[in-house]
Amino acid sequence: MSTDQITAKRVSTDNTSANNISTNHTKTKHISVKRYLPDSSTETFWQEYDLPVDDSTSLLDALNHIKEQLDSTLSYRWSCRMAICGSCGVMVNGIPKLGCKTFLRDYEGDIRIEPLAHFPVQRDLVVDMAIFLEHLAAVKPYLIDDNPVKPYDPNAPETYRQTPEQLERYKQFANCINCGLCYSACPQFGLNQEFLGPAALTLAHRYNLDSRDSGKKERMAELNRHDGVWSCTFVGFCSKVCPKNVDPAAAVNQGKVEAAKHTLIALFKG
Amino acid sequence: MNKIAMNKPSMGQNSAQHKQAFDEPLWWGLFSAGGVCFAILLPAVILFIAVLLPLGLLPAEELSYERASSLLFSVPGFLFVGAVVCLPLFHAAHRLRHGMFDISVGNDALNKKLMYGSAALLSLLALGVVVAGMLS
Repeated sequence: MSTDQITAKRVSTDNTSANNISTNHTKTKHISVKRYLPDSSTETFWQEYDLPVDDSTSLLDALNHIKEQLDSTLSYRWSCRMAICGSCGVMVNGIPKLGCKTFLRDYEGDIRIEPLAHFPVQRDLVVDMAIFLEHLAAVKPYLIDDNPVKPYDPNAPETYRQTPEQLERYKQFANCINCGLCYSACPQFGLNQEFLGPAALTLAHRYNLDSRDSGKKERMAELNRHDGVWSCTFVGFCSKVCPKNVDPAAAVNQGKVEAAKHTLIALFKG
Repeated sequence: MNKIAMNKPSMGQNSAQHKQAFDEPLWWGLFSAGGVCFAILLPAVILFIAVLLPLGLLPAEELSYERASSLLFSVPGFLFVGAVVCLPLFHAAHRLRHGMFDISVGNDALNKKLMYGSAALLSLLALGVVVAGMLS
């Protein structure tokens, strides 16, 4: 943008009446954060903060404001600010949300921030996601190719080919950012941590549906366990909280059909 | 990743954990079939037998003893009982089993035997009555 353009923009902003720019209306909001500081106490406690917000203040902005201006001891994870990295998941009034995708303008009254449910808390809003990563690794969420990579020949380069129809089959399930919100939403994962859980089962299904993949057999052995697809009771809250509209509930239940087919085939083949 | 996995005591019992759940597809299949029957057939059955007939909106002889027993004690009657009694029983058993797990009542291995066992017993009883009627 040239200097002229910037100047022009400033002038036009100055000319617009203040009523049209609603984002400048700051007011004070009150939020409560569940604190856990293992160095000083084994007990959790609620801490209250009052902070200035406007219509564009996200929860992550608010946490950053607390950290920078009010209380530098607050711990939380964040990175990209744009719902891609999946680090800033927290519970907002008991519902798992991404901090960067949640705006304080949508909340009247109490705003209670807690660490993601069903995960061990390390400190304040930081949780230990090791069990989720284990479940993810168990379903081999990557392309498994029967024909290992051939030497690259520049004269006849070989690439994977896929038609738009083949892409469409798994595309929706490929949008997972591994934020773990679905694990906090899943009551079955809350009861049984060995349950592979929504995201892992969805990614397994995503690779099973991929025309370039031939690892379905290896994954089905994981899916067709009691702690695989069969622990899901189709509550569906995972799909409601997913910030990328992946619809894990659909993937898991399509996985049940696949697991049932897998069992039938195994019975007949012996 | 290996490092994390090795630190976990639970990952030691791999062989037990990787046991395939060969029974689950069966329970889930019966649950799904039962759900369809529950949703589609049962409302019609209730409408005819529990609403229209008692209100006298259908001729009383529609389900007279002779007509009802000849309808029930036949192959279509056998299928009717399977679809309206047995499959919904397994549907309910599956829901009860998972509901009990959700509120942490009993243990799942025992609940499974109790729930599916009683569904199977009641189904056998219902189908047995039909078969006995067909033979008599």
